[in-house]
Amino acid sequence: MDEYLVGVLSNVGVISFVALSAYLLLLTGEITFGQQAFFAIGAYAAGIATAMWGWTLAAGLGFGALAGALSATIVGVPTLRLHGLYFAIATLAFAEMVRILFEMFRYQIEIDGEWVGPNGADGFRDIRYIFENDISGMEFMLIIYGLLTVILAGFMLLERSRLGVIFRMIGEDEVLAGLQGVSVARYRILAAAIAGALAGIGGGLYAHLTTYIEPRIFDVMLGVHSLAYGLIGGLGTALGPILGVLIDIGLLESIRALSGYRMIIFGGLVALLLIVRPRGLLDERLVHRIGVALRGGRKMRV
Amino acid sequence: MLELHRLTKHFGGVRAVDGVDLIVNPGEVLGLIGPNGSGKSTTVNLICGLFPLTSGLIMFKGEDISALPPHERVTRGIARTFQNIRLFGQLTVWQNLWVAQNSAEQRRQNPVRRWFGGGGSAREDIGRTLEFFDLAHKRDELAGNLAFGEQRRLEFARAFAAKPVLLLLDEPAAGMNAEEIDQLDARIRTLRDTGMAILLIEHHVELVMSVADRIAVLNFGQKIAEGSPAEVQNNPLVREAYLGTATAA
Amino acid sequence: MKYQSKATAVRWLMPVLLPAVFLAHPAFAQVRAKADVTCRQAGGPLEYDCIVKLINARSSEPLSGVSLTIGADMPSMPGVHHLRPAVAIEDQERGTYRAKLVLDMHGDWALQLNLSGPLRDRIVKVLRFEGGEVGEVKAGQGRKAHGH
Repeated sequence: MDEYLVGVLSNVGVISFVALSAYLLLLTGEITFGQQAFFAIGAYAAGIATAMWGWTLAAGLGFGALAGALSATIVGVPTLRLHGLYFAIATLAFAEMVRILFEMFRYQIEIDGEWVGPNGADGFRDIRYIFENDISGMEFMLIIYGLLTVILAGFMLLERSRLGVIFRMIGEDEVLAGLQGVSVARYRILAAAIAGALAGIGGGLYAHLTTYIEPRIFDVMLGVHSLAYGLIGGLGTALGPILGVLIDIGLLESIRALSGYRMIIFGGLVALLLIVRPRGLLDERLVHRIGVALRGGRKMRV
Repeated sequence: MLELHRLTKHFGGVRAVDGVDLIVNPGEVLGLIGPNGSGKSTTVNLICGLFPLTSGLIMFKGEDISALPPHERVTRGIARTFQNIRLFGQLTVWQNLWVAQNSAEQRRQNPVRRWFGGGGSAREDIGRTLEFFDLAHKRDELAGNLAFGEQRRLEFARAFAAKPVLLLLDEPAAGMNAEEIDQLDARIRTLRDTGMAILLIEHHVELVMSVADRIAVLNFGQKIAEGSPAEVQNNPLVREAYLGTATAA
Repeated sequence: MKYQSKATAVRWLMPVLLPAVFLAHPAFAQVRAKADVTCRQAGGPLEYDCIVKLINARSSEPLSGVSLTIGADMPSMPGVHHLRPAVAIEDQERGTYRAKLVLDMHGDWALQLNLSGPLRDRIVKVLRFEGGEVGEVKAGQGRKAHGH
C-alpha cells in the first residue's frame, strides 16, 4: 500500500472516532457541535503524556480517553437540563472556549536541547512517538483500525444490551423513558462520558498520526462534520457514522477534482438527506429489516 | 395502597386540581370520570411525578412519594398508559416490554442477564405478557409499524411488564371498537383479580360502569362525588356537571 | 544494536500481535533533523516549487541522501484535505531538495516532510499559500480559517 493510501485510510479511521462520539449523543437525542473539544483534549493529553512524560502509546491514549471522559462529564452535568438548540449552542460555546484556552496554553520542557510541548497558537509539534519507536505508517494504521474494531465491537454489544436500548429510549422520548423507570440524568451523563472518551482516543491517535497539533485544527468545522457523519450515514447502527466518514473523505479523495467544492457538495448532501432520509442512510427501519432478513435466513437453514 | 391527601396543582391562576382526596385499594378498580378539563389527566400526571405538587400529599404503600422523581415511583410499582399513545416507535415490541421491566424486584435480576437480553424469568414474563395482550406474533415488529389497536395493547402491555401494584390507565378505550373494548374490559378484570390496584380514567361510560368497583367524579379540579357506579349515576351534582358542560359547549 | 533487533522483531510481529507494538517502550534519544522550507508559485495558480534544506539538528551538517516526501494537510480541516505526498529530489547542493506541490486551494497548509532512509523522521512546517505569496505562519499573525 502506498504512503498516500495509508495516510487517507488512517485519517478515515481517526475521524471515525469523533464521528462515533457524536453518533452516541445523537442516539440519546442530543445534537452537539462540541465533540471536537474532547478530541482536542484527548490529543493534547496523549501528546503530552508520550512526548513530554515518556509514557507508552497505550498509556498516552488511555490518558487521552480519561481526560476526554472527565471533561465531558464536567460539561455534561450543567448542560443536563438543556435540549435541542440550547444544548447545541452550549456545546459549541464550550468547544470554542476550549480551543481558545489551548491558544493560550503553554507548557514546554527541554528534551535533548529541543523545547517540546504545547506552545499556544503555534501548536504542539514533535509528538514523535511513532518515529522514536520506529512504528511505520502502515503499522500505525493497523493500530488505529485495531482500536476502531474493538470500539465497533463494543457498539455492537451496546446495541444489543439494555444500555443501548435505554440510550435510544432517551433519544426518542425522555419523559416516557423516565416513566419506564429509567434515571434519565444518570444515563445522559454516562453517554456524555463515553462519547468524551471516544473523542479523546481519536484525538490521541490524531496527534500521533500527524505528530503535530494546533488549536485551530479543533474548530467548529470538525464538530459540524462529526455530527453530520452520523446524520448522513444513519442512526440505525454504529456503521452509519463510519459510512458517513467514508462518503466524505473517501469520495472526495478519490475524485480529486471535487476536493475544492467539498463544503458545497457535503452541505448539499446533508440538506438532501435530512429531507429524504431524516435518520440517515442506514436508519433504524433499514437496519431492522436487514436484521429480520438475516434472522429469517438463518431460521430457514436450520 | 394509594392515598391522595388534599392534592392540589395550580398552573398560574388555573386550579387544575384543587384539594382532591382519593384512595385506591388493592384489587379494586377506581373509575375517575369528569368533563373535559376537570383535572383527571393532571391527577394521573401528579401521581406518576411529571409535575411537582402545589400542595398536598401522595402516599403510596404507607410512604410519602410526593417528592420522588418519576423513575423512582416506577421502581416502587406505579405504571401508567397515556391518553395519546406514547411508545418507542424505533424499538421492537419485545424491546418496549424488556426495558419496562424496572420494578425493584426486576432490578435484582442477575446483572449479566438483565443487561444482555433478559433470560430466565424476565424472558418468560415478556412471553406471557405478549400472549396475554395478543401480541406474540408481533414480537419482533417495530412498535411504530403496528396498527392503532395493537399500539394501544402494547401500551397496556408495557405498563403491565413493570409488574406494577398500581396501574394508571388514562382513557385506554379511546379510539377502540366495541370488540376491542370488550377485550379491554376482560383484561382489566383479570388484572384486578390478581390484586392489582387500578385507577381508570375513561370517557366511555359503559366501560366504566361495567368494570369499576367505585367511581369518583371530578369537576373543575374538585371531587364532586364518589361511590358505587349506581350511586354516582343518580347523583344530581354529577348530572349537573355533565349537562352543564354540554350546554356550555 | 540492541534496539535494532527489538525494532525488527516488533515490525515482524506487528500484523499478528498488534498490542505488542501498542505497548512498546517509551521514547529514547536519536539523531534529529531540522528543515528550512521555501516555496514559490510555478506554473498554475495552485502549483508551487518548494526547496527544502535539511540539516542535522546536533551538528548543523547538511543531511544528504535522505528519501524525502512532502505531504500536506489543511489544519482547519483535519483529515480531509490530504495531499498525495510529492517526492523531493536532492539538488547538486548537499542537503537541498526540490519538490513540486499541487494544492487544492489557497490557505494555510501544514507541510509534512517525511524523511526515510538513513534517518526516519517527520518535520511539520505550516505555510500560508496565497497566490504568489508564501510565508511561514507564526503565532499572533492573524490566522485564517481556510481559503474559500
